Amino acid sequence: MGFIKFIDVGFSYPGQNKPVLQDVNLSIPKEGVTAVIGPNGSGKTTFSKLLMGILKPTGGLIRLDGEPLSSLNLAQTGRRVGYVFQNPGKQLFCETVEEEIGFGLQNLGLTPEQVSRKAREIMEYFELTRYSQSFPLSLSTGEKRRLAIAAVLALEPDLLVLDEPTAGLDPYRKKLLGDYLERVIASQRGVVIISHDHRFINKYATRLIRLEGGQFAEVGPTGNHH
Amino acid sequence: MINFDPRTKIVVILCLSTLAVFLNTPVLLLFLFVFTLFLLMLLRVNFFSIMGKFKKLIPLLLAMLIIQSVFAPGGKVLFSLGDVNVLTSHGISSALCILFRMLTFFASAMLIMTSSPKDYILALVQFKIPYEIAFMVMVAFRFLPIFMEEIKDTLIAIQLRGVDLQNIPWKNKLKFYTHFFTPLLTSVLIKARQLSITMEARAFRVYRRRTYLRVLKYSRADYLVMAAFIIFTLAVLLKDFINT
Repeated sequence: MGFIKFIDVGFSYPGQNKPVLQDVNLSIPKEGVTAVIGPNGSGKTTFSKLLMGILKPTGGLIRLDGEPLSSLNLAQTGRRVGYVFQNPGKQLFCETVEEEIGFGLQNLGLTPEQVSRKAREIMEYFELTRYSQSFPLSLSTGEKRRLAIAAVLALEPDLLVLDEPTAGLDPYRKKLLGDYLERVIASQRGVVIISHDHRFINKYATRLIRLEGGQFAEVGPTGNHH
Repeated sequence: MINFDPRTKIVVILCLSTLAVFLNTPVLLLFLFVFTLFLLMLLRVNFFSIMGKFKKLIPLLLAMLIIQSVFAPGGKVLFSLGDVNVLTSHGISSALCILFRMLTFFASAMLIMTSSPKDYILALVQFKIPYEIAFMVMVAFRFLPIFMEEIKDTLIAIQLRGVDLQNIPWKNKLKFYTHFFTPLLTSVLIKARQLSITMEARAFRVYRRRTYLRVLKYSRADYLVMAAFIIFTLAVLLKDFINT
């Protein structure tokens, strides 16, 4: 059974006649890497925002683990599904990198010692330790993206949604991200990647779906088995 | 549709705001507010649909009115708790004054929306205000929706990291709201720096004198409206001055 289910979901932005999504039926499991591809403006980011409950569908129903997504608030959704924005700068709001990673952990009710230990581990992995006391918005685009991914991964959500996660990352850091995704998948969690980076998708995705004209088409399994 | 020169609108807004400050009785302020609504109707601005977007501020407004009513006692006591006069006729009158004054400010500011930002630059330049300052005014107009969007994104990001903003105590809520200011202020500074570099790279202020393809011209209706508003506002101010 899918962890997230789209049932006859439609979506249009107010004042626009053309729907972005039309009667979408889709199931996203809590395992493997589901890659969403599609041309610019096809509605991939809109899809990810619907999946998180940031946008509400204009028709149909979205279920998260059996519960209607509309009955959950963003805080409840965010504890189960992690989301990295297309523009990572928009989701950074703390005064230091360490605080940024620890923010969500504090809300999970961890003790200050646990928060600090886990934040250090994550910073170490994402090579952010030397920026631990830096102001997040003064980092480079690639560093901001790494930090946004690290801050969301720290919460260990059941499903991770990454919108263009490799944009601005160099090959070494893409590999680092890919390795971390493999670790995430190995711990019985799923990942949804929205990306144009075919090389990255071909390497890590286990399922490929294409969004075009408001409809999804299953492109097929990629042959990757984690 | 009636449409006035942007300079006329600026004068009208200044006159309405000045009157809203000087008038001091609920009835007169209500008249001023209704008159401003009538102006908005003429210019096809739906005041109530725009105000609907600010409905979250209603509890704050009500709290402010009650506080005003309690702290401006006088006249007939309508409701009291022990020795404290909670509602008095004077308190209600001052609370209503504040309410109508604020509504008039909001409504008159909405007149701005009936012309394009470019027209206001032209209007300010033709008022002999330096182009640099007029341009800054337009930038402020253009960036306001972007900043609103950024506040919304930060709110979403905070909630997605496990903070239920609807159900946290007020003291914690204030702490979380302070998280807005850091990214917002930084983003404003970064954008201002980027914009200044981009503008200079595109030869902003290379020549001292700027010329314009379009020049604003007053119509007879503009002269009449401006004269009527200025004379009426000055008359009210003069009457107020003589009375005091």
